[in-house]
Amino acid sequence: MITFDQVSKRFGERLALDSISWHMDEGECVVFLGHSGAGKTTLLRLVTHETAPSSGRVVVGTFQGSRLSRQQRALLRRTLGIIYEDFRLLGDRSVFENVALAVRIAGHFREEEVIPRVLYALDEVGLKGQQSAYPHELSAGEKQRAAIARAIVNRPAVILADEPTGALEPHSAHEVLALLRRIHAEGAAVILVTTRLDVARAVPGRVLELRDGSLFEPGAGEPEPMAPGGAVSPGAEG
Amino acid sequence: MFIFSFREALRSFRHHGGLATTAVVALTAVLMLAGMFLLLEYNAQVALQFLGDRREMVVYLKDEVTPEQRDALIQRLGQSFGAATYVSKEDAWKEFTQQVGDPQLLEAVDQNPLPASLRVRLRPELLNASAMATAARQVQQFPEVEDVRYGAEWVRRLDDLDAGLKRGALIAGFAVALLAIFVIYNTLRLTVLARRHPIEIMSRLGATDAFIARPFVLEAMLEGLIAAVLSLGLLFGLQQAVASQWMSSVVFIPWTWVGGFAGATLALAWLAATLALSRVLRSAGA
Repeated sequence: MITFDQVSKRFGERLALDSISWHMDEGECVVFLGHSGAGKTTLLRLVTHETAPSSGRVVVGTFQGSRLSRQQRALLRRTLGIIYEDFRLLGDRSVFENVALAVRIAGHFREEEVIPRVLYALDEVGLKGQQSAYPHELSAGEKQRAAIARAIVNRPAVILADEPTGALEPHSAHEVLALLRRIHAEGAAVILVTTRLDVARAVPGRVLELRDGSLFEPGAGEPEPMAPGGAVSPGAEG
Repeated sequence: MFIFSFREALRSFRHHGGLATTAVVALTAVLMLAGMFLLLEYNAQVALQFLGDRREMVVYLKDEVTPEQRDALIQRLGQSFGAATYVSKEDAWKEFTQQVGDPQLLEAVDQNPLPASLRVRLRPELLNASAMATAARQVQQFPEVEDVRYGAEWVRRLDDLDAGLKRGALIAGFAVALLAIFVIYNTLRLTVLARRHPIEIMSRLGATDAFIARPFVLEAMLEGLIAAVLSLGLLFGLQQAVASQWMSSVVFIPWTWVGGFAGATLALAWLAATLALSRVLRSAGA
């Protein structure tokens, strides 16, 4: 379903990803664990084709090639559900309108199908009662649940979660991780990137570690020491 | 999809009232400037046309021309140059005495020296210096004609003034249009840049360029339309004030010009918003 084949990404002199290869199948869950600057976000941006690899090949479903057209990129992103650490909700729209926007962007639902789809997604994340609220009226946990509702409303084959608990207090983080586990159990493939070992262990997936742009399978190389609070130590970063 | 885009444009217009108002005010100011130029240009054209319509050719007849020959000449002139009106020697003298005003001055003249003439209102295509000169030469060839006058110098000056005005209008119009494009483009670019964040989010959710752009372009066109209506309203008020206080001959631009002005504003708003969006969309990474 998603394949990285000898993918490198360079920003000027800095090598963000160094010839990494990995593959995931439909319905699988893969966690990328690594310290800040290890290349996790670059990896996600390569999946969404926000950036092109300097070398190597990225395949996402039927989309492959380093230079997709703008139309193809839009189509690719509609097959993904993306969750960001900072939620990225539109502040001038209600929770309902934020989620409905994703349905309208998908473009294959009639107007009368929008409302039930959105309400169902909001119900799934426990925000049905908050549908008229604006993002500034929500707690961080509620905002992230609204973002998850937006990510799952079109039933994408893959959910990308970029540090989804990074801005949340423990209780909300626990709720969000439970939601991700449920989404995965219902059949969606999940890619989660995190700096936190406890978050990586909280989802039932294969854990791959990114260190300075290189990818390590569990057990390969020196195991990373745990930093206080459960985050991966950036000691190897140099 | 169009209804959704239109709703989005209206929603954005309401939610970003300050930004939209700023854009409308800036656009109104520059459109007002362009409109004033149009008003001046149109009134100059009207004035020139009025002067031009008064251009006529006077064909002096030989004394021995018979009424039959005169009528035949009137018919021939009518066919080739324009409608001719006969002015007899007596009518010419009457007109002359009226113009002079003081009868004592004319006492010394014991015989009417003025010839009979034909006043020809030339066809519109002949109302320029070179065509009039050619026409005068041709009319002069008729045996019944003593002399032809058409105020060659005055007509040449009027033509020069007309050409100068057209050149000036072209240059000034080009400058005003450039200024309008510059202001409209930058005003709308600012409103687009201010919404870079939602554009990026939509792009990451998989929205096509058309999906993202349509509401912004519609909003820009709505702002352009409001500014066009406001500036035309202000311009009409200005024309009415000038006409009632100082120059009653000043007229407002015709409806076709009003339509063209509004249409050009909408087209410019569309172009400016599309250009501004294409830059933001490219840099949004999307």
